[in-house]
Amino acid sequence: MTPRAALLAALVLATLGACTSHGGSTASAPPQAPPATETLVAIPLGDLAGAAKSTLATNVRNPYEGNAQAVAEGKELFVRMNCAGCHGYDAKGSMGPNLTDTYWRYGGVPAQVFKSIYEGRPQGMPAWNPALPPDEIWKLVSYIESLGGMVAPEGYQALLQGDRAGDNVPPEVARTLPEGALGVKSATRPENAASGSSTRPEARPDAGGNPPNGEAGNAGGTGANAANGNGGGANAGH
Amino acid sequence: MNDAADRRAKGAAGRATGALAPLIRVSLAACATWIAASGEAQTDAPASAPTTVSATSAPTLPPGAVKANPAPNDPAGEWHSQARDYANTRYSPLDQVTTQNVSRLRVAWTFSDGTQNGHEAAPLVLDDTMFLVTPFPNLVYALDLSKPGVPIKWSYSPNPTPVSIGKACCDTVNRGGAYAHGKIIYNLLDDHTIAVDAKTGKLAWRTKMGDPTRGETMTMAPFVVGNKVYVGNSGGEMGVWGWLAALDVDTGKELWRAYSTGTDQQVKIGPDFKPHYAWMQGKDLGVSTWPAGMSKTGGGAVWAWISYDPDLNLIYYGTSNPSPRVPAQRPGYNLWSSTVFARDADTGMAKWAYQFTPHDEWDYDGVNENVLLDVTWKGQPRKVLVHFDRNAFAYVIDRATGEVLSATPFAYQNWSEGIDLKTGMPVVNPAMHPKPNVKLPNVCPPDIGGKDWQPSAFSPRTGYVYAGIFNICMDLTDHPQSYIAGTPYDGMEMKRYPAPGGNWGEFMAWDPVAGRKAWFIKEKFMTMSGVLATAGDLVFYGTADGWFRAVDARNGQVLWSHKLGSGVIGQPMTYLGPDKRQYVAVYSGVGGAAMVSASMPGFPPRGSTLYVFSIDGASPNLVAGHAQTQGEEQPAARSDEGMGSRR
Repeated sequence: MTPRAALLAALVLATLGACTSHGGSTASAPPQAPPATETLVAIPLGDLAGAAKSTLATNVRNPYEGNAQAVAEGKELFVRMNCAGCHGYDAKGSMGPNLTDTYWRYGGVPAQVFKSIYEGRPQGMPAWNPALPPDEIWKLVSYIESLGGMVAPEGYQALLQGDRAGDNVPPEVARTLPEGALGVKSATRPENAASGSSTRPEARPDAGGNPPNGEAGNAGGTGANAANGNGGGANAGH
Repeated sequence: MNDAADRRAKGAAGRATGALAPLIRVSLAACATWIAASGEAQTDAPASAPTTVSATSAPTLPPGAVKANPAPNDPAGEWHSQARDYANTRYSPLDQVTTQNVSRLRVAWTFSDGTQNGHEAAPLVLDDTMFLVTPFPNLVYALDLSKPGVPIKWSYSPNPTPVSIGKACCDTVNRGGAYAHGKIIYNLLDDHTIAVDAKTGKLAWRTKMGDPTRGETMTMAPFVVGNKVYVGNSGGEMGVWGWLAALDVDTGKELWRAYSTGTDQQVKIGPDFKPHYAWMQGKDLGVSTWPAGMSKTGGGAVWAWISYDPDLNLIYYGTSNPSPRVPAQRPGYNLWSSTVFARDADTGMAKWAYQFTPHDEWDYDGVNENVLLDVTWKGQPRKVLVHFDRNAFAYVIDRATGEVLSATPFAYQNWSEGIDLKTGMPVVNPAMHPKPNVKLPNVCPPDIGGKDWQPSAFSPRTGYVYAGIFNICMDLTDHPQSYIAGTPYDGMEMKRYPAPGGNWGEFMAWDPVAGRKAWFIKEKFMTMSGVLATAGDLVFYGTADGWFRAVDARNGQVLWSHKLGSGVIGQPMTYLGPDKRQYVAVYSGVGGAAMVSASMPGFPPRGSTLYVFSIDGASPNLVAGHAQTQGEEQPAARSDEGMGSRR
C-alpha cells in the first residue's frame, strides 16, 4: 500500500469509525431488524406494468423511524461523507438535487431514498454500497426524512399518481388531501406540513418540476442552490 | 511627477468636483483598507438599495496610452473566439452603434436553444453563419444569418454522459466554442474536446481528455493559436488533478499536457523556468508544498481563459483553488494552485509563474482572464497583463518576467492588508484564517471573489478595462473532508450576503496605469456577465436579474437598458450581418455562480434565449406582413437531445 493509499484508508476508517463506534448510542442498533437489502433492490423506480398497486416492499419502514439519535448521526454522516458538498449543507440542493422539497426523481418513500443512496443514480450520484453499510444509509434516510420533503410509505400510490399538493397549501385544504400527499410528518418539524412551502416572492427556477436534465438546484457555481442561495455548500471554484 | 502621473492627479481632482465624487472616495477608501471582522458587513441594508451611477466628465487616458495587440486581426464584423483576440480584449472595431444612437437599440431577433442551465458563452460569427454552443447536453447550432427567420443550417448533438451533470460544481455550464481551420471546437461536460466541421456540422474529431467519474468536467472555451488547441479541466471542488493540454487542431491528437501540481516534469517546468520571486524557485515545489500524497488530488483546475502574446510566443492562464477547500488539511503554499502560468506556446514548458493566493484558504482561485496590454509604466514601455483576481486585487504583471508591478483592491475585501511588491506575497489579515468547524464571520470577498470568471473588456480608445465585479462577503465554516473519488473534496459551508452598501454587483471602468476606478455603476443584483467594448465608445454588460445595458465608455453614463427574459451571465458580442448592419447579441439564461443570489426577491427564472439587437430592430426578420422562415431542408431543433428525447 502506498503511503497515500494508507493515509486514505486511515481517513476512511476514521470516518466510518466516527459514525459507527458510538458505544451506547441509541441509533447504533435499530430497534427492529433492518429489512433485507435484497428486498429493497426489487423495489421499482417507477410504476408497475399491469398492476394498480405495488406488491413489493415499498411499504418498508426505516428501522430508525422516530429515532432522533439516528437523525443526528445521519446529519453528521451527511457532512462527513461529502453529501453536503453536492446537496448543500442545508440539503436544499447545489450540484445535486434539493432533498427538502417534494420532488423525487427516483421516488421519495424511505425504501426508494435508501435505494438511491445504495445504488447511485445516473446523473452523478455515486453508489454508496459498499462504502457505507446499510444501517448508516438508513441513518442518512432518517436525516433526510427529518427535513420534511419525503413521503411516508403509505403515500407511495399518491406519489405515483401525482396526487401531491404544491406549495402554499392552506391548512383547511391540507386536511382534505390523501394521506402522504403532503410528505412525511416530521417529528422535528411538525409545522412543515405543506411540503416546503415558500412564501418568498422570488422565482423558483428549480423548484418542483426540475429541468429535464437538471439537478434540482444545480445552481451553481459557486455555489449555490437555487432554492436558497445563501445556504448551501456551494462552490465557487471549478 | 511625470506627465502621466500629473494627468492622473488632475483627473482625480476633476472627478472630485462632481456631485458623486464622495461615492468614489468612499469606495476607494473601503478598498484600500481592510476592516477588522466585526460583523460590520452583515448588512441590514435594504436589498432595494438604489442603483447608483457615478458618471463623471473626467478625461480619459490620452489616446494610445494603453494599447493592445489586435492579433489575430479577424475580420472586423466577425467573432471567431470567445475573447475575439489573443490579448483577450473583447473589443470590436464596429462603430455603427454609437453613444448617439444606442438608445434606439431594439430586439431584431431571438433564438431559444431549449437548454435550461447557465448560459455563459458568446456566440461566434463567421461570414453569414452564427454558431451557438449550449450548456449540457452541449449542442451546437449553426444559424443562417442571411435568411429571414435565421433558419438552422445544422446542429450537432454530442451525447455527453449524464454522469457529468452531477460532477459539475457550478451548474452544467459551457463557456463557448472557438472557430479555427474550418471547425467549431468546444469542450463537453464529460471531458471530451470535439471539433465539428463548420460547413457541414459533421464531427471532425473527438478526443477523450478526462474521467467524469473522478469528478473531472470541462466547461472552458478552447483557445486556438496556429495549429494548437489549448483546453483544461474543471473540478477544483472535486479533488481533481488540474491540467492544461494542447491538441492538434486538425486531428485532435494530444500534443502535450501540463499539470498544475506534481513534479517539475509533470508541471512541465525545466531549465527555462524563471519565476520572479524566490519563494517560487526550487525543485518539485508542486509536490513539496503539499502534505505527502496530496498534490495529485490538489485541484489547480484550468477552467477559464487563455491569452497569447505572439511576440513572446507565450500563453497565459490561471489555475483554480487547491483541493480540498479546507486549508487546515493541506499546510503549505500548495503550488501551483491559484497561480498564473506563462508557457511556451509550442512546447508547453513553463517560462514563469506567480501564485496570487499562496495556501488559498478562501477559494480565491486564480483563473480569471489575463488581458495583455502595452503600457507606459514609470516612463518605460512595459508589456503587462492585467488580472482582476477573485481575491479582489487587480494585478498588473510584467508578462515577460512575472514581476508584479502593482496590486490594488478593486472590490470590497478584508482578508488582506495588501500585496508586498518586494516578495509578491499577500499580507493576510490574521483574523481571517478559518479553523475547522468554527464559524468565521464576515470574510470578504467570499469564495466567488470580488470578481469571478466573467471576463472584462478593454477599449484602446479610452485605455480603461471594464468589468462586472461583486460586493459580497461570507460567513465561513470549514468541515474537513475525506477524499472519495467522484464526490466533492470541498468542505466550505458558506452564507453569502452583500458587503457594505447592500448592492451585490457593480460595473466599473478601471484605469490600469493609475490602479483605480475611473467610474462605477452600482447594481442591486450580481454583475456576472462578460463585457463587450466597441469602437462606438460603448460598453455592454448584463445583470443577474436580466437587465442588459449599454454605457458610455468614457464617463459611465448608462445610455440604454433592456430587460431580458432571464438573467444575463453570458458574454455580449457584436457582429456585422450579411446586410452590413451592426448587431449586438447576448444570451439570457441565468445560472452558474449567479445562483448564490437566487433567493433575492426579484431573481429571475432560468432561460435559454439568445437576444440579438440592432438599431430600430431592423433586420431581415422584421417584415411588414406575412413572413415565413426560409431555408431549404432546415433540420429540426435538437434541444431535446440528451435530455430524455424519445427521438
